[in-house]
Amino acid sequence: MHKYLFSRKNLGIPYALFLVLFVMAPLLVLFYYAFTNGQGEFTLLNLTGFFSDPNTLGTLCYSFGIAAVTTAVCLLLAYPVAYILATSRFRTKSVILMLFVMPMWINFSLRITALKEILTWFEGNLAYHPFLNTVLGMTYDFLPFMILPIYNTIAKLDGALLEAARDLGAGGIQAFLKVTLPLSMPGILSGVSMVFLPAMTNYVVLDMLYNSTYIMGSLIGSYFAAYNWHGGSMIALILLGIVCLFTLLTRGIEEENTRGGALL
Amino acid sequence: MNAVAKRSVPGVIAGMAGALLFSSSVTVYAADKDSQKGEQTVTLRVCNWEEYIDIGGWDEEDTIDLDSGDIIGERSMIQDFEEWYYENYGIRVKVEYSTFGTNEDLYNMLTLGDTYDLVCPSEYMIMKLMTEDQLVPLSEDFFDTSDKNNYYINGVSPYIRSIFENNEIDGKPWSNYAAGYMWGITGIVYNPELVSEEAASSWRILNDPAYHRQITIKDNVRDSYFAAVGAIKSDLLTSERFRQNPDYQKQLEIEMNDTSKETIAKVQEYLQDVKNHAYSFETDSGKADMVTGKVAANYQWSGDAVYTMDQADEDDFPLAFAVPEESTNIYFDGWVMLKNGILENRLKQHAAEAFINFNSRADNVIRNMFYVGYTSVISGGDDMRIFEYADWCYGAEEDEEDVSEYDLGYFFLEEGDEGRSYIITAPSDQVYRQLFAQYPSGEAISRSSLMVCFDDEQNQAINQMWINVRCYNIHDIPVWVWAAAGVVMGIFLAAAGRKLARSRR
Repeated sequence: MHKYLFSRKNLGIPYALFLVLFVMAPLLVLFYYAFTNGQGEFTLLNLTGFFSDPNTLGTLCYSFGIAAVTTAVCLLLAYPVAYILATSRFRTKSVILMLFVMPMWINFSLRITALKEILTWFEGNLAYHPFLNTVLGMTYDFLPFMILPIYNTIAKLDGALLEAARDLGAGGIQAFLKVTLPLSMPGILSGVSMVFLPAMTNYVVLDMLYNSTYIMGSLIGSYFAAYNWHGGSMIALILLGIVCLFTLLTRGIEEENTRGGALL
Repeated sequence: MNAVAKRSVPGVIAGMAGALLFSSSVTVYAADKDSQKGEQTVTLRVCNWEEYIDIGGWDEEDTIDLDSGDIIGERSMIQDFEEWYYENYGIRVKVEYSTFGTNEDLYNMLTLGDTYDLVCPSEYMIMKLMTEDQLVPLSEDFFDTSDKNNYYINGVSPYIRSIFENNEIDGKPWSNYAAGYMWGITGIVYNPELVSEEAASSWRILNDPAYHRQITIKDNVRDSYFAAVGAIKSDLLTSERFRQNPDYQKQLEIEMNDTSKETIAKVQEYLQDVKNHAYSFETDSGKADMVTGKVAANYQWSGDAVYTMDQADEDDFPLAFAVPEESTNIYFDGWVMLKNGILENRLKQHAAEAFINFNSRADNVIRNMFYVGYTSVISGGDDMRIFEYADWCYGAEEDEEDVSEYDLGYFFLEEGDEGRSYIITAPSDQVYRQLFAQYPSGEAISRSSLMVCFDDEQNQAINQMWINVRCYNIHDIPVWVWAAAGVVMGIFLAAAGRKLARSRR
């Protein structure tokens, strides 16, 4: 009896149950609503409607733009920080790293409210720079997610490889470009996917920093507020599709890289 | 109407799944009729706006010391009701109290299978629920004026009562199904140092270039629509000829609820302009931004306007309230009973109606108003305490020199009761400050218009208009952005191609 209860298979039941309840079931509901109309009949109108409306497409582009710029800024800021921290011999290294991560311990809306006040101090009227403020807010929010994975990959990098590169005549910059950068690619990619995807939908930052233009998250919300669950579900589904595509793409690059890495 | 928009998408989805899975297993803990009377427990499921009822626990210093006696909220209104009900009717009632954030949230919750007995949506949602035949009519006993426990019918303001009786949907007056709770109008809170009263008294201020990026507007389609209609029809609505029309009230309502294609197109154009001029579309931040001086004016519901001005007063930062000349949106939140909650259970319905009555008792009305900040639909009838409370809040001190007489007859005066006067002698500035927002003047009320519940087709058109306003149109993307995106894309592709070619070699 005891053996039966604690067999490995049975220990998985709670997780399976969890997956069914909170992943599968909502997904099925989402699919159902996305492909039906108000009368419960099958329709593709929600899908075609999304791709024929200049507003929804524009919103997709706008979200994409915000996410892309945020990711780029995060990467540009995070890489040097991660590199310096990982390669230096500061004894205070972990303290500095903690300083970057610490904001994550503070409630998110509190941080954005504080940022709002600081930005108001600098800019005066926030409403003049909605795009800039949004990117700043998101960068502030997501930067740790970019720093940590990059730091981890660079910290684990085998120093012998760099020495070998130098022995074989590579300059500092060349060694960085040929060895460090390609080998830190997995960290960059996981950082990018951790920043890019949430940045496309995190409308709370927009709302709090007075950007009145919808992004994907707010668009879905507005459909639900107008009782149009079908249109809203379809947009959520399309977003899910984009996420999947993105994940597959980064994984593809990653595999390509590890093969490339083995060649070195 | 304290609407903190909760548009959390994961929440909605999780809710959808949760509701589907669990709605069947929710046990309805209803009264068992066969059990002995003393042991009966009725469960009453109430759903109300967030922070819309007194939760008690007041400090001693918060005591409202009216001449007729002190009023203080020691325990929550819910607990007090449960006790009061047992004392009066000998039946235990257990209130399961929950809250919602917006009317649309509530409607979605109901659609997903949440069951409630008594809810408190705004008038247009009540109308929608009425047309969908989801409501239980109030019983005859509820309107029996001889029962002293019927505080609602004995205390509701005659002005509000006439609105509830004269507005019909499918031939049935609202009053058959709904009992009012709080009410208010829409207007503009402004900083008198930056904005003149005249400018704040028109909806046109929302896109006035003089206040570029200094005004916030409500982030919901109905409020924005109303303001926009007021602004684009400003000339007509403020003209003498229109005002003198014997059928003015009716005409005003027709104009303000105009959803013709041309009007929707004009509203869209107007709101796009507002978007380019406003500080932000806000759901809840407007109050704080007004108090901290980030904005010069703020489209606001009167109840929140009172709160905003109170907060600013604490910083010695006087703000004022104006009601646009064109028209103001008068709104109500009211109690309605739901069919699929009550399920023809008499005891339950009785408890629900008693809940409405208990919240309409003058001292409880005052507690709720003090805690919530909005204005109750109850004027008190023979009970003078609510007027006394208004006077306690806003009446001038005896040594005050600059005072004005403020007549609230339209709200408090019962028919056949002409002998009494309901005039507050208030400091003159109150005439365009908190008092004005809490109890708008008869003159402002004469310009008020209801906003009806639009049908599905109208809603669809208006929601599409709203999306058009709020979304970034793909045709607006400048050429240089397309070019830059193309270049970046090209670099990526080239890099990937080179890599691929190298790895093949």
